[in-house]
Amino acid sequence: MTLKQRRILFILACLLPGIALFVMFKVYPTVQIFHKSLYLWTGLSDEPRFIGLKNYADMFRDDVFLLALRNTGLLMLIVPVFTLLIALVNAAILAKSRLRERALYRTVFFFPSILSFVVIAILWSFIYHPTMGFLNSGLELLGLGEWALPWLGDQRTVLWALAVTLIWQAAGYYMVMYMAGIDSISPDLYEAADIDGATRIQQFFRITVPMLWEIIRVTLIFSINGVLSISFIIVSIMTGGGPNRHSEVVMTYLYTQAFTNANFGYAMAIGVFIFIVSMALALISNKLTDRGSY
Amino acid sequence: MKTSRKASLITVALALTLTACAGNDNTPGAGKPTEPDAPGNATGAEQAFDNPELNIAVFQGGYGREYWDSVAEAFMAANPGTKINITASPKIAEMVRPKIVAGNPPDFMYISGSDNTPILDGLIKDQALLDLTDIFDGPASDGEGPLRDKILPGVLESRSSSPYGDGKIYLAPYNFGVMGLWYNKTLFDEQGIEPPRTWDAFFALNETAAAQDRALFTYQGLYPGYLEEMLVPAVYSVGGQEALDQLFNYDPAFWSSESFTQAWGILERIAQEDNALMKGTVALNHTQSQTSFLQGEAMFIPNGTWFEDEMKDAPREDGFQFGFLGVPAFGEDKDVMALSNVEQMVIPAKAKNPELAKAFLRFLYTEESVQLNAEKAKGVLAVVGAPDLVKEHISETTYNIYKAVDSGMATINGGFGPVAKGSKYNPSDEVYKPISSIMSKQLSLEEYSANLTKIYTDIRAELETAGAE
Repeated sequence: MTLKQRRILFILACLLPGIALFVMFKVYPTVQIFHKSLYLWTGLSDEPRFIGLKNYADMFRDDVFLLALRNTGLLMLIVPVFTLLIALVNAAILAKSRLRERALYRTVFFFPSILSFVVIAILWSFIYHPTMGFLNSGLELLGLGEWALPWLGDQRTVLWALAVTLIWQAAGYYMVMYMAGIDSISPDLYEAADIDGATRIQQFFRITVPMLWEIIRVTLIFSINGVLSISFIIVSIMTGGGPNRHSEVVMTYLYTQAFTNANFGYAMAIGVFIFIVSMALALISNKLTDRGSY
Repeated sequence: MKTSRKASLITVALALTLTACAGNDNTPGAGKPTEPDAPGNATGAEQAFDNPELNIAVFQGGYGREYWDSVAEAFMAANPGTKINITASPKIAEMVRPKIVAGNPPDFMYISGSDNTPILDGLIKDQALLDLTDIFDGPASDGEGPLRDKILPGVLESRSSSPYGDGKIYLAPYNFGVMGLWYNKTLFDEQGIEPPRTWDAFFALNETAAAQDRALFTYQGLYPGYLEEMLVPAVYSVGGQEALDQLFNYDPAFWSSESFTQAWGILERIAQEDNALMKGTVALNHTQSQTSFLQGEAMFIPNGTWFEDEMKDAPREDGFQFGFLGVPAFGEDKDVMALSNVEQMVIPAKAKNPELAKAFLRFLYTEESVQLNAEKAKGVLAVVGAPDLVKEHISETTYNIYKAVDSGMATINGGFGPVAKGSKYNPSDEVYKPISSIMSKQLSLEEYSANLTKIYTDIRAELETAGAE
């Protein structure tokens, strides 16, 4: 055996445990999801019945699923846009201004990211509490009592109320990422712009945003996928999908179908659908934001 | 225990974030296995079991697990040579699910708690439960007469025990709870308010409520499922068992019947009358609304016998005292009623040791066991006379409720029949969830009944297709 062959053998031997674990815990379950989505299965019996693509066909005739999909879509549209916008503006202000409290603000804004989602959800349930909540009491204090709504109990406001929670939760996290990015932009650029008489706003659009573009692209995908997974916890705790399913999201619906309605196969079909959609969204947003490198 | 959908949602989320912490409370055998050749005592085993080992899985909720530990010990003492392994957990469904899928379920399961009971629905859909009818037709372990006679009347015939409606029992009853409307007894006594016996009297109290600076009614807004506690008895009050059967067996005609119009009419009236519904109710979860009730912001709230225990640490107005009303009737000539709910125990069809599981189940209805249950779990088994055995362990209010039922207060017990396997509909969600929108006046009863007529027609059609296959 040549030295080269032995080396290859050694490398393979080293890779094997990792690959085995990866296949066992990632690839196999994923394949199983695709596989089980083709069956009528309660998730309990050991005799799933093959029904082909019926689960997928049913999905588009299921009003509740379509409503959940619409709600999720709305959240995936609003939340990343506002989160990243707020994060970016805050980061630019904090990084470029000479505020003394800079470190304090950075910590305060980052705070939600280290809280557990469950805590955040409970916290916001009380902020939105219709009578003694911070929001409605605040409105009453300002004499705007007639604007006070049962935010989480009204089908017109519930999704927006949840969106605010999601944005609040994530903005600080992305802000810190952007601040790190801004710090790595050469100060020379800003200095040169200053000399040429560019305003702060021009600097933001002409220097900060282009230089951060690659980071923004990545955070956009993170944020879209984050909405998908975090919305499950937030919705489960804050509204339970109510009122009358107006805050049901695909993940909560998937969970209900799998574990309370004993429709495991159908739930897996929903899972596959979400998988495909989020992959597609990631690709699309990647393509749309592709400007070549600066 | 239906200790309610309450913590359930939070625990769901917690479980997902903290999966790693999901404690596995798998304690092998509560007591030591009795010596196989222990000197036979008088009460000892007359039976020898081929397989002396029994694996049971029990829900560990508000009632704890001490009862199961001690009843297992008592059973092993009475049947020398047997050995019972107990798995107990608040998330028992999650723990037994993989075993069931692998075709190796526990021999006996007590499943309760809203996180867990859906697994029973799955097993019912799969026809994966053992027929227990012979146990209840057979003699009781102690005393004479068939075991059936010891169980509270009506329970074994209801959906919660006989899910397919064919008289065969697949789910054995354990503790039972009673649900209805609650009020502040001190307030009613001091102000000389008479608890309303009819819905008209109920609405007439709205003025009194306003005078007391409180709303007439509140409920667990985010979880409108609690409203079944008044809707089901209301339906019964109008249309009797026939109407309930329509509701629970998916007769689309129910949604245009008088029973529907009257029962759901209560909701519409609550939604529309001034001061009837506590402000913000629709946005409150169960704890928030129940706290508001205790603090005197609303006069009535629906809930079950677990109410006092559930809210024991919550703040309340001065002198608050729990008072249980039940559910008012339509018309003077009818009685106040209540909804009852029974926890369930099952033996999976694929249990490895069904004989011993059956013997164990029979043992659970003995006086000794009922007594143990009262002592250790403070629970009231669904057997005749159980309330008196727990009297010293539960509060007076709770005892009085049970006693009222035991001595003949009409209780309604019912649940939705199984839907076809693979159906996307979850009947109780379809029926109760839209009530949020009725309560916030964003959905009219006409639209609601049209939707549900369609859904019931669909469910029926699915059942027929499934039956034809």
